[in-house]
Amino acid sequence: MIRILALTVALSLGPAVAWAQDRAAEAAQIFASTCGFCHQDGGRAAGRGPKLAGTDRPDDYLLNRIRVGKEGAMPAFGRAFSEAQLRALVVYIRSLKDDAR
Amino acid sequence: MTTKRGALYLARLAMVVLVATACSMSSTSQGGGGGTGAMRTSMSEPAGAGNDWMTYHGSYQSWHYSPLTEINPDNIKRLQVAWVHHPGRSTRGLQSMPLVADGVLYYTGSYSRVWALDAATGKPIWSYFPKLNDDLVAAQTHSPYTRGIALGQGKVFVGTVDGRLIALDMKTGRPAWDTKLVNSEKLTVGFTGAPLFVKDKVIIGSQGGEWPGRGPIFGVDAASGRKVWEFLTVAGTEESKKTWGNDSWRTGGGGGWMAGGYDAESNTVWWGTGNPAPLYDWAGFEWKTTGPRPGDNLFTTAVIALDPDNGRLKFYHQELPHDAWDFDSAVGEFVMLERDGKKLVVHPNKGGHVFVYDRKDASIVNVWQLTKHINFVKSIDPKTGALIGRRDLPLGKHTNLCPAIAGGMSWNSGAYSPKTGLYYKIGQEWCMDLEVIKTTPVLEPQAQLDIGANFKLRNPEGDKAHGHLSARDPVTGAKKWEVMFPEPPLASLLATGGNLVFVPDPRGMLRAYDAQSGKEVWSHNNGIGHNGGIISFAAKGKQYIAVATGWGSLVGDEFGELFGEPYKSMPKDAGAIVVFTLE
Ligand code: HEC
Repeated sequence: MIRILALTVALSLGPAVAWAQDRAAEAAQIFASTCGFCHQDGGRAAGRGPKLAGTDRPDDYLLNRIRVGKEGAMPAFGRAFSEAQLRALVVYIRSLKDDAR
Repeated sequence: MTTKRGALYLARLAMVVLVATACSMSSTSQGGGGGTGAMRTSMSEPAGAGNDWMTYHGSYQSWHYSPLTEINPDNIKRLQVAWVHHPGRSTRGLQSMPLVADGVLYYTGSYSRVWALDAATGKPIWSYFPKLNDDLVAAQTHSPYTRGIALGQGKVFVGTVDGRLIALDMKTGRPAWDTKLVNSEKLTVGFTGAPLFVKDKVIIGSQGGEWPGRGPIFGVDAASGRKVWEFLTVAGTEESKKTWGNDSWRTGGGGGWMAGGYDAESNTVWWGTGNPAPLYDWAGFEWKTTGPRPGDNLFTTAVIALDPDNGRLKFYHQELPHDAWDFDSAVGEFVMLERDGKKLVVHPNKGGHVFVYDRKDASIVNVWQLTKHINFVKSIDPKTGALIGRRDLPLGKHTNLCPAIAGGMSWNSGAYSPKTGLYYKIGQEWCMDLEVIKTTPVLEPQAQLDIGANFKLRNPEGDKAHGHLSARDPVTGAKKWEVMFPEPPLASLLATGGNLVFVPDPRGMLRAYDAQSGKEVWSHNNGIGHNGGIISFAAKGKQYIAVATGWGSLVGDEFGELFGEPYKSMPKDAGAIVVFTLE
């Protein structure tokens, strides 16, 4: 939670906790419809795509990857989702517990 | 909001279909021209014409069989590479089936690039690289691969991931027409499967499945490129609309993304359809009345029989009513044969069962199980096709669902040999744990995958994930022999009149087996996994085998994590056509 909040502030998504929680719920939903196909177990395990929990990439890198994708590996979602949704997905990824660590 | 827009869209669509149908009536008996007659014969002969390989499944009967006998178990030791062709930019590997007509090999690869090569030497004759919408290619999941082409009326037909069907002159490669059929910019899906040329039409199915659209199949006039008909695999008839509660047909999925077969005798096209969206259904046991898509969801996960002249539905069988597992019927193989005076068609379902139908009305003759680890149903009634003991998956966690989402069978085809009477088919054994989650379909501005679960692949209980090749009676399923593979082969198979079965395997070995005994008689290392087609043909009096190499299909993408090397480091941007002949 502390991590989510910290990130929320960092990404200047606004301070309201309830709002952040709504966003987090939406991001979890988006993940299960659109991302979980490749990032297994909700991003906690590797599959077609890498495990996202505990990634050591900076936020900008994650945001950019989701936005532009990688041809032949991951679709580009820059046009599909709003800036707020994209950021919420990063928040979701950061909130995943990395069991392997 | 979406409702209104959907209705408008539909009204417009209905008009388009009406106009198109009206136009087609005035031009029905054109056909002919440019060697079409010869082509038609060679495709409808069950064994193919012999020297050529004119259509995706080898013949309209989907045998993936070449009657050529020059290469056989006694001389196969002398089988060597004759030539190789590298198309470049083989993103996700070369997944397509080459075709051969009159000594020319035609094939397509990623980005719908098309090549015509001298079939004996590999010398390029022409090539065609369509301009695609790059942003769309990047935004799509089922991209940028193309699985095949069709030939007819002196043209090569190819679909594109941005929703077009293109016709090229067979001699020059120059485009004859280029028809936009799917609003891929909005629906985020287009064409990846091969078209099927029938009479004077090119038939091609859009993707669908877990994509919230209505998965149309199109009939296009081969001469002009004009759309003549469109069949919606989701609620394509008024009656079937009732099988989608709460207007859920608007985002139903479906599609028919692999080329089907054609029964010339009854003028019937057989096509398999994709699964409904969302893929998993949190309504669980209550799927008949609640959830995202209450009802049977016709015509998803079904085999449908269409009239190629007008796209009208003749009859159908829904293999899995209300598919809640992604065990679709999109597999394009419709193996046509006769048994005891009955005309049958054999169709594998992704869930691991093989359905045997009477060709006159798709009534069930038998259903048999190809793979061992199945628990999404207890069984399927071999007399009626009814699912017994379905395992519906309500909201929350579930363990050991078998098979895994990748299925007991994948989209590539098996083979049937009329000489041995055996059907050769790959089975996949794997399971998964999952958590079903409630989702809302994303439709604007660009439709998105609608899976509705997080999942993780795993070994079956008390077993290891693996694959197998088996040789069986296509009607009863009785097993004659079986070969185990540590990882499921994902490419198509080839049977030949020389008593051989070829299996392009995932590690990169192309293997040949004695079709009667299952004994391995030859292998060759192509240096990268196989993920596409294989054919045999004759040119300048010699028999050849041509196989597509290259790795990186969406199913293959699972291998690195599940099986480790060589898949973890296997390139997913390479692939070639490798052609063999006796030295
Ligand atoms: C078709 C499969 C696929 C889908 C769908 C997909 N991804 Fe990916 N994703 C990948 C692959 C493969 C990679 C690795 C790309 C690379 O080589 O850098 C990746 C990488 C990433 C990365 C970078 C991770 C890192 O540590 O480098 C992030 C973040 C990510 N994906 C998020 C998402 C999100 C969020 C979604 C849904 C909106 C999504 N992905 C959907 C396949 C997919």
